[in-house]
Amino acid sequence: MSQGVVSVNVGVLLPVLAPAVGAAVILVADVVLQHLRRAHYVVALASLVVGAVATFAGLGTAAGAARQTLCLPGGGQCMYAGDSVASALQLAALLAAAVTLLLSWPDDRKQSTGGTAVMVSLVLSATAGATAVAGARDLGSWLVAIELATLPTVALVALRGARSAISGAVALLTTSLVSFGLLALAAGLWFTATSSGFITPAAALTVVDDPARRPILVLAVVLFVAGIGFKLSLVPFHAWTPEAYDGAPLPIAAFLAGVSKIAALAALLVVIRAVAPLGAPVLTSIALVAAASMTLGNIMAMRQNGVVRLLAWSTVAQAGWVVMPLATVNSAAVRASGAYLLAYVVATLLAFAVVAALVQTRGAERARDLSAYRGLMRDHPVLGAALGLALLSLAGLPPGVLGLVAKVTALRPVVGSELWLLAVIAAANAVLGVAVYVRWLRALLATPDEQPNGAAAGAGRGVKAHPATLVAVGFAAVSLVLTSISPQLILGMMGS
Amino acid sequence: MVILLIAALAVPAMTGTALIVAGRGAETSNESDANRVSLAASVITAALVVISVIARPSLDAAWLPSLGVRWQFSVDGISAPLLLLTAALSIAVVVHASSHPPHGGSPTLFYGCLQLVEFGALATFLSRDAVIFFLSFEVVLIPMWVLISRFGDSHDLAARADASGRFVLYTVLGSTLMLVGILALVQSAGTGNLDQLARAHGAGMQPHTQVVIAALLLVGLGIKIPLFPLHTWLPPAHTTAPTAGSVLLAAVLLKMGTYGVVRLVIAPLPIGFGTLAPAFGALGVVGILWGGLACLVENDLKRLIAYSSVAHMGFVVLGLSSGTTVGLQAALFANVAHGVVSALLFFLVGGLKERWGSADLATARAALREVSPRLGISLVVGFAASLGLPGLVGFWGEFLAMYSAWSPAPDRPQLFMRVLAAVAVTGTAIAAGYSLRVLRLIWSGDRTSPAHPDAHGGEWSVLAVLVATVLVLGVAPQIVLNSTIKDVAAITAEVSR
Repeated sequence: MSQGVVSVNVGVLLPVLAPAVGAAVILVADVVLQHLRRAHYVVALASLVVGAVATFAGLGTAAGAARQTLCLPGGGQCMYAGDSVASALQLAALLAAAVTLLLSWPDDRKQSTGGTAVMVSLVLSATAGATAVAGARDLGSWLVAIELATLPTVALVALRGARSAISGAVALLTTSLVSFGLLALAAGLWFTATSSGFITPAAALTVVDDPARRPILVLAVVLFVAGIGFKLSLVPFHAWTPEAYDGAPLPIAAFLAGVSKIAALAALLVVIRAVAPLGAPVLTSIALVAAASMTLGNIMAMRQNGVVRLLAWSTVAQAGWVVMPLATVNSAAVRASGAYLLAYVVATLLAFAVVAALVQTRGAERARDLSAYRGLMRDHPVLGAALGLALLSLAGLPPGVLGLVAKVTALRPVVGSELWLLAVIAAANAVLGVAVYVRWLRALLATPDEQPNGAAAGAGRGVKAHPATLVAVGFAAVSLVLTSISPQLILGMMGS
Repeated sequence: MVILLIAALAVPAMTGTALIVAGRGAETSNESDANRVSLAASVITAALVVISVIARPSLDAAWLPSLGVRWQFSVDGISAPLLLLTAALSIAVVVHASSHPPHGGSPTLFYGCLQLVEFGALATFLSRDAVIFFLSFEVVLIPMWVLISRFGDSHDLAARADASGRFVLYTVLGSTLMLVGILALVQSAGTGNLDQLARAHGAGMQPHTQVVIAALLLVGLGIKIPLFPLHTWLPPAHTTAPTAGSVLLAAVLLKMGTYGVVRLVIAPLPIGFGTLAPAFGALGVVGILWGGLACLVENDLKRLIAYSSVAHMGFVVLGLSSGTTVGLQAALFANVAHGVVSALLFFLVGGLKERWGSADLATARAALREVSPRLGISLVVGFAASLGLPGLVGFWGEFLAMYSAWSPAPDRPQLFMRVLAAVAVTGTAIAAGYSLRVLRLIWSGDRTSPAHPDAHGGEWSVLAVLVATVLVLGVAPQIVLNSTIKDVAAITAEVSR
């Protein structure tokens, strides 16, 4: 490949290409054949599955054994690397997007609201952005990919058209713009410091010993962290999260909690892995942000009575746990962070899927309120058990072994670097987290007889949840059960 | 033989899960069927545990290679008495529940949770991997929470919610701090295997690191023991929990804390524990006094026994802190003794509360001596053992613990430990005071109304077996002491090197 051409390996790029091509096909098909609804979903699911299968080759590979492509001529640097962490995050993003689509599957009993093709293609393009950012190794494609993962979500939130949806979308749009500004500035500083368009350890290493350029690089990294902090809902960049989750349709809230978080962490990991040689100042800022996110997220989640807002604040708290391992210079930290995110995504998607099923059977107003879950364990044993397992996994208590192992994984690098204060704050937050989820769990277990308006409980009876939603619940539940029995499935994907 | 070990864990785990899953939705799930299934499972588990204790198999299989966590289970002298205690009491609570059916939820959920608690406790005592130890520790939490919050005393729902919430939150705080300590220990010692950790005796670890790790572990485990001032979750949890929950909580779950101290702190971190031992012992002694004084004025009988548990566990802590073979032996014996005595007392008090409708001591009722001699004699034996009467099981642990504190290991401050021993002696005097107070209030006298039925059937057989155990172990403590001596000596021989 030395003819001055950038090499392209379609096989390696397939996790990115499949959803992107899917999105294009759907938009074209919508122009040619109007009034298609289910076909769009089928095409989209197929493209996601193709992408997911394509990630298998990169899973569990040893460190450094990345499948690279888009390499510069002359055996130079590559703009795309599909290593084990990137592949695992891509797989999770593609599957999470599939669950989102299942949750929003068109219901024949209802009138079409139009815009099916737009909605599905937006989901696919945001997913393509998420998978692209995981593999991106140069500033240009990294910036484009992370915006591709973000901007469609603004439209997705706004699509419902309700007043709350618009306010959620505006909150999301504003933060996205600020975040993009920070990231663009960070990219500029990075290029100034390293004179390299690549986000790689090699580029950062050239700066480490230069006292003049080093501060610029540190500033660049802090801005990177801040910009991604918006997308990852880290305190103090979290304010949009409850607004957007609550305003968006439920499947889109699940998308924000799943695919968007994966995209954000994937972007962060690209930067963190590049600057590992840089050490302390950046890491301290991550430790602070992690501790603040956990604490504020849990305290606010404890006060919520709406389940979507509760899940939104729980996202803020869990985001703190996700980035906590990154406060250490440790090769295990990146894998720990990725593994924690995947554990969180599996459990959260299951919780959203159950809420979606209840919205369909009981109506949106009631299913979004915590009190509507009283006695769920008796009324819907299967849904109740699935939700209970998801909440226990988020709380990190057996039988939700996956969540517990994820907490062990996340704490390990922190303890290994003897960051005792951070470890103790995390321990205290494990307690606050349990208090958050036990509140919901208590409602699930309560006897329905104790319900004040017992008559209303049966009002939604007879309406069945859409089969696709139940498939989503089943898929997420089976994933959570399997990974709880053998958490190695997730840990192993991250490689060694 | 390994298959038996796996089966001893799998039977309660599978039965528990099956009962909970199968019972869902079945509105008319049959009380006695669930009881029979649960009894069969507990008996089979007990048989498997007995065989495992005799044959001493061990299991070692990979589980999480990325974290270096392995399924490592085996039996040794220190865990054997606790395993037998757990298995025996699991049968006892099921037998007892056959004559005192649970209220508040489906019986399958109740028995399923009992099985899962047994599974978690057995796994804790069997595990030889530090992280698996932590996971097993956590397994008991949710089933116990369900037992308290669903099947507990329904007179005051707010108090029940508070008690169960407090139980979960305190315990999670303790176990997460313990996890931080475990991870630090594993990281700096380079192995998660408890036997290797015990053999290494902290070799190659800085004294400073040892102290930090030991402090984290002691605070974490101290919540479970419970150690003063971290005990405030225990009285409400006991007051609210159903009889079976109280028994398992006092007799099995508290033991996981002191057992953890032996496995995770004393053996692998001798220098760290030596530094903290005087403070640890002092808090134990404060607990002895605090618990005893609370018992002198407490009017709720269940809460009284909960406070007496705090006092008794204080003696265990005192024995542990002495750092001698005698002290560790005393602690492990007192562990078992408290398991038997507190189980006996909670069975009794749970039964009395059901008969009386409350556990308030201030209300005058028929004297047990007059109307229910079986309950009466069990109560007398229980409280006599509780006050440490020689010839009963309570005596040996507390006597030896005070003796060991009087002549502690050479690296302990001798005068300070002797002061602790002297204060602990006054604790036994207080114990005599409150035990006699309770007997005077509810056992003696000649009131015969309102009459209540005496114990019979399942309840009486459980009480009789426990009374017999109190007597047998009181006369022949060497049954337990001989089991533990070899492994205890292996720990302390190195500690006092």
